[in-house]
Amino acid sequence: MASRSKHATLLGLRHLTLMVIAFFMLVPFYWVIKTAITNENIYAYPPSLLPQNPHLFNFVDVWYLIPFPRYLLNSIIVSTIAVVGNVVFNAMAGYALTRQFAGRNLVLALFLSCMLIPFQATIIPAYLITAKLSLLNTYFGLALPMLSTIVCIFVFKAAFEAVPRSLIDAARLDGLSEWRIILRVLMPLSKPAIATNVILTFIWSWNNFLWPLLITRDPLMQTLPLGLARFLSYLEDTTGALYAFAVMVLAPSILVFLMAQKEFIRGLTSGATKG
Amino acid sequence: MTRWWASRWFIVPTLMLLVTLGWLVYVGRHDNGLIEGRIVDAAGQPVAGATVRIFDRGFVTYQERGRTRSDADGRFRITDNTSHSVQLEAETPALGRSKRMEVRLWFAAQDVRLTDPLRLPAKP
Repeated sequence: MASRSKHATLLGLRHLTLMVIAFFMLVPFYWVIKTAITNENIYAYPPSLLPQNPHLFNFVDVWYLIPFPRYLLNSIIVSTIAVVGNVVFNAMAGYALTRQFAGRNLVLALFLSCMLIPFQATIIPAYLITAKLSLLNTYFGLALPMLSTIVCIFVFKAAFEAVPRSLIDAARLDGLSEWRIILRVLMPLSKPAIATNVILTFIWSWNNFLWPLLITRDPLMQTLPLGLARFLSYLEDTTGALYAFAVMVLAPSILVFLMAQKEFIRGLTSGATKG
Repeated sequence: MTRWWASRWFIVPTLMLLVTLGWLVYVGRHDNGLIEGRIVDAAGQPVAGATVRIFDRGFVTYQERGRTRSDADGRFRITDNTSHSVQLEAETPALGRSKRMEVRLWFAAQDVRLTDPLRLPAKP
């Protein structure tokens, strides 16, 4: 009896701790949304905890004061290209890394070491390659560095290694080619890995600022993070419209995450235990 | 058998698409740029022949875009608004100038009938 009571107390304490942590993590989101639906300045003192005279017209202002629909379209196109490229190329690379071949460990070591190099260090070669391919100021150019990411390759590798070897051997005996084994056997069994790829790539691509800043020339090719910076430079204040813009930029990636979070968490934990 | 239509990957995008289409249809039927309202004096009586100016919102300023006059009942009608956020101001030589009224719309050129009149000050 005493043990059960102790267990309940511990559980309650754990939940209380989690609630306190969740509160501190959610306060900035609340503050952004609160500012977006009012005309308060975020630096106003004393701050009001509850929104005063809330309205949604700041969102309308954002929609019309800058070419928001165009930025949104650009971001959707670039993120879609990046997501499709990631799922296709990472699945191929992940499958190759589950096979035995000469130099496999070297390739794995190379991939792991490349993860240590920040993108800022390779941005000039990336820019020159994109320019040589005549992809500057294009959607494919914007998505190019995100078409395959090493972390996501390892997510696919871990997921494919979790599939019983006998299943792949049986598929091969039935006459399936390597491509069809990936497509018909491995991919349907790796939905959490696909969801992880989709979420991570979408969020990375959606929030990418530096690369689009470098390679876009035409203002109409800019993506939402660049539009946000442009909006701030025009408006030069910290009132509701700026935060409404931030909410409109954040909303799609939060929606994608919420829709795929179950598979995402399963994909990450599968990678953690079997990778 | 998998019920694909019960999946959130179908329901959420479909709902978003339907809401967007519904909104676009509504916008398409109500974006003629009409703004209707009334002008009254300090005693609440309609003012005929007042000049009404409309100002469009830019990034940080409002620019005059057009003007019209109120009729015998003090009513005015602007037919070519293209903005989502405007200010209105009424003026007569005899009664002076009203305070600017801010009109924020849900979409550009939304048709709107103002419930509050533009109120001219008492004769100075």
